[in-house]
Amino acid sequence: MRVVIAEDAVVLREGLTRLLADRGHQVCAAVGDGEALLAAVREHAPDAVIADIRMPPSHTDEGLRAAEAIRRDYPSVGVLVFSQYIETRYTSRLLESGAGGVGYLLKDRVGNVGEFVSALERVASGGTALDPEVVARLLRRPDPGLASLTPREREVLGLMAEGRSNSGVAAKLVLSDGAVEKHIASIFGKLGLESSAGDNRRVLAVLRYLGAGNATAK
Amino acid sequence: MESIRRVAGAVVRAPFTRRARRELCYCAAGAIAGVAGFFLVVLTLVPALAISASVVGTVAGLLMLVVVLFLARRLGALQRLLLRWGTGDRVPAPAPFQPGTSLLGRLDRRLRDREGWRAVGYAVLKLPVAIVQWWAVFAVGIGLADITYPLVWVLFRNHPAGTKIGPLIALFPFPYGHLAIETLAGTLVAVLLGVVSVIAGVWLARGIVAVDGRLARALLGPGRVSELERTRAIAVEDAAAALRRVERDLHDGAQVRLAAVTMNLGMALDKTGDSEVRELLDAAQTGVGEALADLRRIARGIHPPVLDNGLADALDSLAASSPIPAAVRADVVRRPSPAIETIAYFCAAELLANAIKHSSANLIEIDIDTTRPGVLRLRVSDDGRGGADPSRGTGLDGLRQRVSTVDGALDVSSPPGGPTSVTVELPMRMTGGGT
Repeated sequence: MRVVIAEDAVVLREGLTRLLADRGHQVCAAVGDGEALLAAVREHAPDAVIADIRMPPSHTDEGLRAAEAIRRDYPSVGVLVFSQYIETRYTSRLLESGAGGVGYLLKDRVGNVGEFVSALERVASGGTALDPEVVARLLRRPDPGLASLTPREREVLGLMAEGRSNSGVAAKLVLSDGAVEKHIASIFGKLGLESSAGDNRRVLAVLRYLGAGNATAK
Repeated sequence: MESIRRVAGAVVRAPFTRRARRELCYCAAGAIAGVAGFFLVVLTLVPALAISASVVGTVAGLLMLVVVLFLARRLGALQRLLLRWGTGDRVPAPAPFQPGTSLLGRLDRRLRDREGWRAVGYAVLKLPVAIVQWWAVFAVGIGLADITYPLVWVLFRNHPAGTKIGPLIALFPFPYGHLAIETLAGTLVAVLLGVVSVIAGVWLARGIVAVDGRLARALLGPGRVSELERTRAIAVEDAAAALRRVERDLHDGAQVRLAAVTMNLGMALDKTGDSEVRELLDAAQTGVGEALADLRRIARGIHPPVLDNGLADALDSLAASSPIPAAVRADVVRRPSPAIETIAYFCAAELLANAIKHSSANLIEIDIDTTRPGVLRLRVSDDGRGGADPSRGTGLDGLRQRVSTVDGALDVSSPPGGPTSVTVELPMRMTGGGT
């Protein structure tokens, strides 16, 4: 996997480069601000990008703006946004153009190398990777359809939103794959997502869950 | 002996200095402005007070008072300008008048305008000062005239001997005094009188200019209260800036280092197969993770980073994590000063938390607008059960105190049964603040 890193703290930039290299990925460029990130994406056409949100010069949402631009102009590039903070406003900005090929993780998560790298791989291949913290915040939001879910179903949907596959969810909750599938079917039913060709119900359920617009109408 | 001579020299040389000329010019101009200002102010002030004391004319009288206060401030500005130009004495201007928001508020602010009333005081006290100033100019003028007498005598009094003519009258700088001069030698007395008069006038001018300067500094400069307001504004903005800096330092320092530590621990975990080592690394990583979470919470309490993007984004983020649906309407055309933004944000956070905890509402609305000039208005309302009492709840009381540190106001409307609406009004920036 070819990756571009944008992070203004040198220790983290170098650490990430090393971490990815150890896992056999190629870091094409490691830069320190949003402009340089866009330039590097133009030049290297990577599979995925890791972008810090708060970077020079304004130290506000440079990285997020670059991420939005990349998602708009290079939809094939997976974008993993990486920050010290989770802001719900940032989550919805990031998800406005759909839930594929995007991730938002706290910097803390890099401690679990295996999960971090698999999250990046998921994003690169068009999946999602959302921090449990993002999910926990969104979970507090009210939605009548969501309110009818059982605690177990909410747990399953939360893990789906983090971007896990059925077997990933099963492993995390120590359930059988069949049990997870049953839960998911029940979630789709309660959210009114009828099975129809072409609609990715999984993505719709997650979007509904994340409150990113009226996903069912899309 | 030496010192007496030096003082005498200074006294005699004074009229020839540039400073003396400027002070005399100031006396002449300042006195004209002073007398004119006195009559302008007093002739409006007295009827204004008289009319406002009567029953029917209160409104007209108060409006006249507003005119007086406005006029006095303008005259004060003119006097400060003259003083600077005449003597180089810089009296700092007081804080500009802060107009109120409504018509009534505007009137009220005007009438309570401490700076305006002090300027009225100056205009009144200036009359005796102006009289003395004029007198000093007068003394110098008369003295200069007296000094020319020998010349006048030689040019115009060279009549043949025995011609009967009236004496030359040398003038005194005092009423009723004069000196009749009959001979050329007598004009030398007039010269002496003139020199004394000029020197006295110059020193009188110097003295009264000093008095005027003191008066102006006391009444036309920033008063104690406005000075306190100014320093308070600086203190509040400084505190906000310091908190932002602390948050930035945490973000760029400790948080980055801890994230790097957890990353290195992760890589170490990845490489080792030894279960005991793994256990220790796991424990270390859990500790670092907790430290990061703590730091994040602390930093958010100090200054939420999303606030750097503006109140609208910050409030959106706040509302998005509310368990009761919360709608944000933000109409923030101009950005308030950072300290005001921070206070507004924490007010909104507290009010939202209150609504979530106590109201049992179905919908919370957060409105923020800057449509009224100079005012940031925040309103948090809900359709819950109401009954919030600011005198009982310490939360609302604490908020009110916090808001009052920047001269803001908090208004609670919460009848039993609801709905509840809390309005906070903050100035866009603080009075007297240089930001």
